[in-house]
Parts: sequence; structure tokens; C-alpha cells
Amino acid sequence: MNETLITPLDGTPEDAEKLRIAVVGGGPGGYAAAFLAADLDMQVTLIDPEANPGGVCLYRGCIPSKALLHVAKLIEESQQSKNWGIEFPPPKIDLARLRTWKESVVKKLTGGLGQLSKQRHVEYIQGRAAFDNSTTLRISKTDNSEVVLSFDRIILATGSRPAIVPVFKLDSPRLMDSTGALNLEDIPGSLLVVGGGYIGLELGSVYAALGTRVTVVEMLPGLLPGADRDLVLPLHKRLEKMFAAILLNTTVASLKEDGGGIRATFEGTAVQEKDREQTFDRVLVSVGRKPNSEIPGLHTTQVHVGPRGFIEVNKQLQTADPAIYAIGDVVGEPMLAHKASHEGRVAAEAIAGHKVAFEPNAIPAVVFTDPEVAWCGLTETQAEKEKREIKVAKFPWGASGRAVTLDRPDGMTKLIVDPHTERVLGVGIVGAGAGELIAEGVLAIEMAALASDIAMTIHPHPTLSETVMESAEVFFGTSTHVFRPKHG
Amino acid sequence: MELETDKAVVEVPSSVSGTIKEILVKEGDKIKVGQVIFTADNNGAAAVAEPARKAEPSSKGATATPVQSPSGERAAAATKLQPSSPVAPTSQSAPQPTRATGPVAASEFRLQELGENISEGELVRLMIAPGVKVSEGQPVMELETEKAVVEVPSSVSGVVNEVKVKEGEKIKVGQVIFTLQGSASSPTEAVRPARGPVEHVSGQHGARLAFQAAIRAEGKTEEQALPPDQPRPHPAAFSMPAQLGKVAGTEHREAVPAAPHTRRLAREIGVDVYEVKGTGPGGRISEDDVKAHAKALVTAVAAAAQAPPRAGHFIEPKLPDFAKWGKIERVSMRGVRRKTAEHLAESWNTIPHVTQQDRADITELEQLRARFAPKAEQAGGKMTVTAIALKVCAAALKVFPQFNATIDMEEEEIIYKQYIHIGVAADTDRGLLVPVIRDVDKKNIVELAVELSQLSQKARDKKITLAEMEGGTFTITNLGGIGGTGFTPIVNHPEVAILGLSRSRTEPEWIAGKFEPRLILPLSLSYDHRLIDGADAARFLRWVAEAFEQPFLLSVQG
Repeated sequence: MNETLITPLDGTPEDAEKLRIAVVGGGPGGYAAAFLAADLDMQVTLIDPEANPGGVCLYRGCIPSKALLHVAKLIEESQQSKNWGIEFPPPKIDLARLRTWKESVVKKLTGGLGQLSKQRHVEYIQGRAAFDNSTTLRISKTDNSEVVLSFDRIILATGSRPAIVPVFKLDSPRLMDSTGALNLEDIPGSLLVVGGGYIGLELGSVYAALGTRVTVVEMLPGLLPGADRDLVLPLHKRLEKMFAAILLNTTVASLKEDGGGIRATFEGTAVQEKDREQTFDRVLVSVGRKPNSEIPGLHTTQVHVGPRGFIEVNKQLQTADPAIYAIGDVVGEPMLAHKASHEGRVAAEAIAGHKVAFEPNAIPAVVFTDPEVAWCGLTETQAEKEKREIKVAKFPWGASGRAVTLDRPDGMTKLIVDPHTERVLGVGIVGAGAGELIAEGVLAIEMAALASDIAMTIHPHPTLSETVMESAEVFFGTSTHVFRPKHG
Repeated sequence: MELETDKAVVEVPSSVSGTIKEILVKEGDKIKVGQVIFTADNNGAAAVAEPARKAEPSSKGATATPVQSPSGERAAAATKLQPSSPVAPTSQSAPQPTRATGPVAASEFRLQELGENISEGELVRLMIAPGVKVSEGQPVMELETEKAVVEVPSSVSGVVNEVKVKEGEKIKVGQVIFTLQGSASSPTEAVRPARGPVEHVSGQHGARLAFQAAIRAEGKTEEQALPPDQPRPHPAAFSMPAQLGKVAGTEHREAVPAAPHTRRLAREIGVDVYEVKGTGPGGRISEDDVKAHAKALVTAVAAAAQAPPRAGHFIEPKLPDFAKWGKIERVSMRGVRRKTAEHLAESWNTIPHVTQQDRADITELEQLRARFAPKAEQAGGKMTVTAIALKVCAAALKVFPQFNATIDMEEEEIIYKQYIHIGVAADTDRGLLVPVIRDVDKKNIVELAVELSQLSQKARDKKITLAEMEGGTFTITNLGGIGGTGFTPIVNHPEVAILGLSRSRTEPEWIAGKFEPRLILPLSLSYDHRLIDGADAARFLRWVAEAFEQPFLLSVQG
């Protein structure tokens, strides 16, 4: 390794006066921060091991999984269309082409981000960064060279990685995390999904649609822990049909390589004796994610890492080291790309001296299963825990014209409302396309909208968005369509 | 009319009624408090409207505008007309922070804050002229302030268009020094943040603290000069807001019923949006609610400002006409002399002084001093009694922390400083200056001797910077070079004690049954009796005297 000490810019005097920023990690948080910092006239260096920005979200997360879920939905609908008088033969799946398509989606988007970096004159370094001190990074480049650069401010956006539970440490190609599952090496005959959170359910849905017999094991009494039960119910019902089994209150005691598969032993009252041991072609472990806060040399800074591995930051996303900011998964839950991007933008603005703070009134969560589950703001579960007085208004999609035309009445839209001020505190939606619909709920909460504001806003007909308006009407007991499906 | 001050856009209500006859200002003009805005036809009599006093305190908490020059004159609050209709009091247009204000034709450089209590200076040397290129950090002029001659660096880059000041002129903080030509679009300070590690307390809380501080701090310029987002420097290096629960930013303050834009406005003008009463449906807070809240606060400040001066402040009786009794000469009391007069009067009026006297036998110390003097000389310093006293006092302050403290009567708190920075009074041809030596406890006597020599020289050469005279926690004043057997020094407020040294003399001391010639150093310790009891002061001074008497102890304890 040759070590060169270079200044990041051999610059004109003008450049020399710009604030020099390094962003470590090129995910949706990191590149959003880098781009805004560049737009705010800073001299930005973005460091990531991949060829282009994108991070887990684009390379091994949101984007490839959504491409595959789109395919899964098509397969599902081609089967459902029997009910509508249209019948297709069973699909022929060309796995190599499917993979190529998925990869082309990733390439297109990450390449686009590479372009955007260049257009903004963001210096992109492919490599990994370690701290020499609070303002100096030693970057091992992918081409095996090393550079040492110093900066005025550093933003850590190192993200998270799939958590591994020791009991599942098994050196077997059949054992996958979400990254492995997205690689789609084959369509296994059977798949065990350990963990009934959103990653397990989304990827389980993909494999199930492709023809795999999927079993989901969740140690808690319900799928999607944290979400309101009434939102999970329609999904649970549909998944029960798609999956071979959903085992709740169940834990995996052991996993063993067993000739043609992995033998899993289950524990829990919900498992019948004969099902205690089963063999699967593949196992997907999706029991959560861990923050990537073990950054080499971090001890040379004043950055403080909390007991759960999250880097501690204030509302400006500044760490205990005043020169270092941190954003995204590495600073805390929820580990969501859109939260990270918003934090990235706040951090960049804070560094630019703007008086900003990360304090959203609502962060939406979306599970891209079929049906989708989405919520934002206060949940019923949380209100109950906090003993907050709320009123809940639900609109069943059976009463939505649009849902019926889609043959997807298995949905529900609900508002969680403050009974005194009638202000909307939370929105929850389950149903096809819930992820798109939730945005209106987020806006309503951020704008402190009242239920009457939503009820009196004209929504286009016939769309699923009307369910948001009608749930507000339900709050006042005046919904047009509750229990009366719409005609024309 | 809407005025954009350093803090916010403020609507200015008319103080007169009648028909507007002539408007004397344009949009984009800077308007000073007291400037005539328009004349009105009021039943035939022409009335003149001045911007309300309200605009004035609003500039108080702002970044670099000094609020009150020490003599009590108010610095004019420079404000700018917002590009909106000049007369109709409309508030529809969104107020923008200064930096975002439309295209600025030529950017300008204003005199930024110079340091503790310094609000103006005399322009000694101008280093720029129209057409000259300046870049950020380049010195553009020399100012003589009350404490020192300072070089003022530019905070902007570009080509100088017009120089708005002349040599010999008095320049106030915030005054425009020069304007830039054309495209260099960074207006003054706002765009480029400071490079040094900036401490951020959570934005809202910080803004609030600063705003409250500004409200309270009649006469406390350093607090007022703090930008709202950077509250007073805290001894603890970092203040983490309550642990970040599960989601950053969603810890237990319920979602406030205000749109993101409104919340940002509040943060920018230093209003805690949680304290604003929303007038909208369901308690929703509008932009107007935030502004109204800010105005109410500002009015409260204005009212407070008009309240009579603090009790305990002495108003000097009128002077007789001395010319009646003979020839006199009046000379303006400027610079260091005036500052000294003000500061010492303030110290004297604030602090109930007591002076404790003691004597230290430094016969042995003197031998040591003579022996080590060449060593200090080699290093470029002078091994003086003052240099040794620095070391002695640093050790004493560690043992008696209440001597290294400050009283905050307003908060009813005692501030203990965890650092020991000692000021040493220096007699210069411009008057009394007090350079401060940092972290005295961490330096050895030779290092202290060197630093003291350098700083004193700098003070005499007028090269000392303001920063080098700030932040002291204790002061030493040595008049021994001139003479005297004792005196009562005045505590350098906000410190709480000062040690005076007089001339050492050989005196007969009764030792073991006979008189012996010993070298005796008289010590005078003045202290703030509010914080320090007489017995403690006696103990402190005895400790100091013993440390002088047995220098060996110092090397063991200090």
C-alpha cells in the first residue's frame, strides 16, 4: 500500500474557502446529505465501497426487493384473473432473465446517482474509511491504494447490516440473509423464513409467488410486531393462503445441515409435536438489523456509541464530537431510507449553519407485501400504551368502488384522531397500494390537519384515496359509503 | 411596513395616524431606529413617524449587533425593508432569513463582533481601496479599540466596490465597512459557517435559551451577542439532549400542531413553537401566531428596557464648574482609560470588597529565584516574583476553588471554573491592561516566565489581542517594582479575588530568640465578600504565603 497525503483539492482560492465535508456511506442518507451539502456550496467527498452511491437500499434492499415484489404481484394476479374470466397457463420462469432485469434496475438507478454526483462535483471515492482523528480519514480504496484526507466536518452514514443470531451461525450456502435471498440463486422447493417482520414477509412473498413452499416462524404472537393488529389481520389472512405455514409464538431451537437441506427444530406451544422438526431447502434469517457503528478509529474521536450500538446524536444529528455528524440506520430506529434521507438533509443544513432540527411529526412505515401495510404518526397500540385518549375512525375497503373494481376489498383505512381538537394524530392503511396512499396521511399530520380538513377536501373518484376522505367522514358519522358499496 | 431585522421580519405599526403625505424610504433601504419613515398629514399638522422602538431589542439577540455601547448609547438597529408593499401592513409574504433574501446586487462587509464588551474602535489604518481584490480572512484594516489594536479580517471575498469608512473614524460593530462588486454573492456572514468546532445544543432549546438570555441581559453584551443557536459556551463539552428514545426527534414532546414551514420559522427567529398559542382550528399554529408571539416577547423586552436602572448602580452627582477657581483643561477620556474607569466602577459597585493583608518570608525563595533566573533567561523569559506568584496562586486556587469562581446572582448560582487562567495587570503607556495566561496550573515556572514576558511585551507594543485579555479567573497585580507596603486592589469582576504584591524589603524578623534579616514580601488579597468569608480569605492568603516561604512545598503540591 502506498500512502499519499494529499489535500482534497488543488484548488483555486475560492475552493479553498469552501467547507470540506466527508460523507461516509453512500446510501439514501449519505447521498442525500452529500448532494445537499454540494448544493449548499460545500466541497464534498462521498466514500462508499460500491462503484456508485446507492447503499443497501439500492443494491441489496428496497429497490431489488420491490422489483421482485412487482413480479410476484403479477404472478398472483395472473392466477386471480381466473375469477374475472381470464385464464393464463402457469408462468414459465426464466430465473436468469429475472435476475438480469432486477440487476438492470439496480444498475440504472445507481448509475444515475453516480451521474448526479459528478454533476454536483461531489468527489466519489470507492473505498472504506477509518478515522485517524476527528477530522482526518484514512481511506482504503478498492484499488488497494490508501489516501489520508482531512475535512472540516464528517457525516457518518454507515447504515446497518442483517443481524445474525449465534444459534443460526451455520456455514451453509442454504442459509441466507436478505442479501442472499435477493440474489435469487434458485427457486427452492421449501424455504424457512425466521422472523415475521417486514423483510421476512416481503421476501417470503416473492419466493412463495415463484412457487416455493414458505414457512414463517415468529417468536412473538403476531406478524409485523409494532403495527396495529387490525392492519395486520388482512395481510395475515392472505399470507396464510400463500404460505405453507405461519408459526407464531415459536422459536427456532437449532438449525443443522442435513444432507439435502437444513433441519430446523422449533420450540413453542403453537407447534404440534409432528412439526417440531422439519427440513428446508433454504433458510432465510431476517431477525432484524444491526447498526454499523464499529467504524475503525472511531475511538480517536469523541463520538459516543449507545448500548444498542447506535451512535448518539442531537437533533442536528451532531454526535458528541462537534466535527462529526451521523445519520440514518446507524443513529437509530426506524431504520428506513426515507428517514435517513431526511436526516441527511438536516445534517447538511445544520453544518451550513442553518437553524434546523430533525423533528418530524410523522415518519411513514410501509410493508410492501400484498396487501401492503402502511402507517404513520400515532398508532392505536402506542396510544393505548401511553393511555392517550383517541377516537379511531375506520373505513373498510369493501365500501370503496375502486377497491371493488380491483377485486381487492381486503383493505381498511383508519384515522386516529384527537377527540377534543379533532386533529389527525395517526393514519393506518392496509390494502393494495397502501404505501402510496399513506403520503396523504403524513402530510395531514405534518400540517396538523383536522379530520374535517380531510373530509372536506375533494378526492378524485374512483380512487383508493377516497378511503382517506371517507374515513374522516366516518369520524363524523356521515360517511357516504360505509356498508354500501358504490355503484358507478 | 415590514422590516427585516437580523432576527426576523417585523411588522412596524404606525405610531401616528393621518394621511400619508410623503414616503421617505424605499424597499431595500436600511432603516435605522429613529429614521423618518413617512410624513403624515394629520389635521393639517405634519407628523413624523419613527419605527417603533420594538425593532430595536429584536436585534439584540442577533449575531453581531452590539446592543449597547458601554456609554449607554444604543447602537442603531439596522433593518432592511422587506420587498413587499411598503405601507400596507401585510404579512402574507414568507419571511426569509437574511441569507435567502433575493438577489443582492453587491454584497458588503460589516464590522463583526470584536470581543467581550467591545462595540467600537477607531480606524487606525485602512488596507483596502475600491477595485482591490479581497479574499476571506485577509486583513482589511486596523482598529484601535479600548483594549488593543486589532487587525480585522474580511469575511467576504470579491472586488471592493466602495469603502464606506475613513481613517480616524470611529466604527461600530455592525457598521458597513465596504461593499463588493457584482457576483460575489455571499452576503456577510450568514452563508459560511464558522470552521471551528461549533457547539450545538438542540436547536429549539438553544434558540430559546439565547432568546431568554437576550431578554434578561440588559447590559450584558456578551450574552446578547451570542447567536440564538449557540447558547453560552458550556463547561461540559457537549450537551446531549435527553436520550434519543427510539426515533431520533420523536422523544416525548408531543407533535406540535404546526406545519413544518411554521416550525422552521419559529426555530429561525428563536421562538419555542411549543410556547406559541395556536389560534387556528384545533389549536393549529400559524405563521402569524409565531410572529405575534415573537412580537409579544419583543415588546416585553422593550418594556423591561425602559425600566429604571438596576438598584445599586450609582449615579454620579453633577460636577461643579471648576473654571470658577482657575484654569482647567478638558481632555477626552478615551480608549483604555475610559474602559478602565467603567470597568472598575462596575467592579466596585457590584462587589463588597474586603482586603486581607499578610507577609511572606521569601528569603529562601529569592536564593532559588536567583539560581534559576539564567535558565528562564535562556528560554526567553524573566524569572520574576510575578512568575512565581502565578504558580503559587494556581496551586492555591486548586485548593480553594471558591476563589476561582463567579457569582451569578440572577440564577442564584455559583459558577466554579474547572480551568485556571490568571490575569496579570500590566502597566503600559496607554494605561492598565490585563493579559491572561491560560491553564497556569499546567505550566511550569519557566514556561510561565516566558509567556508572561511575551504577553507583557505584546501589551506594551499594542500588539495584544482581545482574546489574550479575556477569560481570566483570578488576577495578580504587582506594584513591587515601584514601591509600597500594601494596598487594596479592586477585584476584576466577574472574578472574585485579586492578589496584590508590594515591594519586598529586608526586615528584622524575630526568629529563635533573636532578630534576623529576612526578605519580606507584603501580600494584599482583595476578595468578594459575597462568596468568600473572611476566615477563608485568611486561610487562602496564609497558604499562599507559606508556599512562598517553602518553595519546596510547591514543587510537591503544585
